[in-house]
Amino acid sequence: MSRLDRWFEGMTRQSARRLSRRHWLSRFGGVLVGGAALPLLPVARAADENMVGADGVRGREGDPARCEYWRHCAIDGFLCSCCGGSHLACPPGTEMSPVTWIGTCRNPADGKDYIISYNDCCGRTFCGRCMCNRNEGERPLYHWYRNNDLNWCSGTKSQTYSCSTAVLVKVADEAQPEK
Amino acid sequence: MKAGLLTLLCCAAALPARADSLVEHDYILNCAGCHRIDGSGSSTVPALPNMRDLAGNPEARTYWIRIPGAAQAPLSNARLAALMNWLVERFTGTAPAPRYTAEEVGRLRRKPLRDPLARREKILRGR
Repeated sequence: MSRLDRWFEGMTRQSARRLSRRHWLSRFGGVLVGGAALPLLPVARAADENMVGADGVRGREGDPARCEYWRHCAIDGFLCSCCGGSHLACPPGTEMSPVTWIGTCRNPADGKDYIISYNDCCGRTFCGRCMCNRNEGERPLYHWYRNNDLNWCSGTKSQTYSCSTAVLVKVADEAQPEK
Repeated sequence: MKAGLLTLLCCAAALPARADSLVEHDYILNCAGCHRIDGSGSSTVPALPNMRDLAGNPEARTYWIRIPGAAQAPLSNARLAALMNWLVERFTGTAPAPRYTAEEVGRLRRKPLRDPLARREKILRGR
């Protein structure tokens, strides 16, 4: 035990003789600042853009927790992916509305248009996270069944809106608007 | 001139065929949001299989086109006619006879019903 103590003592005294305290502080500070700045480098951002996400789509368009996710092209509401659920499932304590607003979005991975059903999750107070408002292909309010400004929490026990999902129905035969 | 006429004829023949191929797509985008993909509806939206109650009734043909959801759908007359021919057959088991044409649908949809459920009751009671 005393040998270990002596060894440590020797090491400590040796480093105290060789290195100044400021020297150590400057190195430690460099590590702290450098570590924090690393994600700001273009390399880190490029890695983010090249990450393959949901549905085989690269970058932000493949991330269901972002407004840029390709299925969210016609969404208006809070993303269930940010609220304890996912883009396919409601958060605990909420119920998926059977009545829903439906649109089409183009998948950048294969260039095809898909029919997307924006089923709302209802029963808890509004989530408040990841608010997205893209509305591509939305119709004016007088075509209410193709409009997303109204509360689609209909046919559920509670009419309180919490968040929105983006369920893929099938390949669209035609992108909106219809000819 | 002949070639032009031929092209016109081909286009005229192709139009209903294209409308027919889009019926399911049109149904999902314009009807299924509320009536659901299987037509079962919800506590607030009528179920489409209930269309059977009116099948064979002479008033039903006009009624189905004048329902606001159908009459005001953002679809051309040809596409609405194709959609309703498909929809009536799917949910009543019998195709409309004769089939709806774009011209007939265009005429009927100009007068959307203000109260479709009341109208339905009247038709069922034979008044």
